[in-house]
Amino acid sequence: MDFDFSFLAEYSGVLWRGLLTTLQFVGIAVVLGLVWGFVLSLGRTSSNKGLYWLATLYVEFFRGTPVLVQLFWIFFCLPLFLGVELSGFISAVIALSLYSGAITSESFRAALKSIDASQFDACIALGLPQGVQTVFVILPQAMLRAIPNLLSNVVSLFKESALVSAVGMADLMYVGQNIANNVARPIEILTAIALIYFAIGFPLTRAVSLVEGRLLKVVKA
Amino acid sequence: MNYEFDWFYVKKGFPQLIEGLWLTLELTLWANVIGLVLGFLVAIGMLSKIKAIVWPLTAYIEFFRCTPALIQLVWFFFCIPILFNVWWSAEFMGILALGLNLAAFNAEAYRAAIQAIPHAHTDASTALGLNVFQRIIHVILPQALILSLPVLITNGIGIFQQSALVALISVEDLMYQGRYISTQTFRPIETLTTVALIYFAVSFPVSQAVTLIERRTKRLLAN
Repeated sequence: MDFDFSFLAEYSGVLWRGLLTTLQFVGIAVVLGLVWGFVLSLGRTSSNKGLYWLATLYVEFFRGTPVLVQLFWIFFCLPLFLGVELSGFISAVIALSLYSGAITSESFRAALKSIDASQFDACIALGLPQGVQTVFVILPQAMLRAIPNLLSNVVSLFKESALVSAVGMADLMYVGQNIANNVARPIEILTAIALIYFAIGFPLTRAVSLVEGRLLKVVKA
Repeated sequence: MNYEFDWFYVKKGFPQLIEGLWLTLELTLWANVIGLVLGFLVAIGMLSKIKAIVWPLTAYIEFFRCTPALIQLVWFFFCIPILFNVWWSAEFMGILALGLNLAAFNAEAYRAAIQAIPHAHTDASTALGLNVFQRIIHVILPQALILSLPVLITNGIGIFQQSALVALISVEDLMYQGRYISTQTFRPIETLTTVALIYFAVSFPVSQAVTLIERRTKRLLAN
């Protein structure tokens, strides 16, 4: 069987645009997910029972169902509920961000839980008011510890973002499959797509372990 | 919001959904068999000092961990038949892709667990005159399994969720059946919500069990 990768050059512009779309999705979902995840993590650590259960149910549900189902649900059902037309782009952003929020809140929660009880005792001993304790003692430490997890969430989102092709968004995956269908050369094009994903996913994953190692040293010191 | 719910078609199509669920579970089961066995073999291979073994295995692990499962699935579906001139069913391709994906993640879990086994165990094995295989089977495997169990189950249930992707290569799993019914009957809200609830009903108890097992393992290790 003959391989011919040369024709890919012709499509480099389209692939590039697809990649940018993918990155755009990931970027928006990460930022919105951070904000939403922080709010959710407050709910999950709240002493208010109602808030706690609501946030917990939300997080468990989004972590317990396939992202593809979530995406289709938002794409096909939300417009019916709201009575307004949602573009594929908006639905994909909403779905990814809602999912991103759920996994992000877990990272925040784990970080909050990892803070030693002695820190709270020290705050009491120093007579710090609740607000000061949260903002200056707990939050900075929690944020620092959450960084590796948050970064690995970015990697997950980057990989999950390929799903948006299923609702017709022209991301890298979609563009790749389209070209593959048109030129009937799936091996070259799909391999190229996989390599492009890898070229971004791999350094990101490496960065996560690197940051994790650094942080372990900082936290221990 | 003035939407009128109509659950008639969901009720009527429920057996179809359950049929889809069985296929989903079947895919999950086989992918997990591949993932658990192959993952361990890969993890053992990674311990080797021979570069020619470690390098390809590292490439395999990193490649499957750093690319979307969807592209892996689609790649298998379209490229394997051309490359190897074989015509396997879409289900089989799905199992293969999901299984290899899971094995890569499980290999990492096993590896972390194996690294946590104290070096003294290796010395003890040598002192007892165990050969390499005996050491792997009787000393490393049981401990690695216990230590990595929570991660292995989490990965396994992750594959249950990822298996929804096979609907995109027209394997008639739960996701596929749900999509089919919802487009046939124009009742996406009822159908897709039911599908989501079915997925949740399976994965939630398992994830709760993981939390329990994790606590047990920690206690076991503390003793």
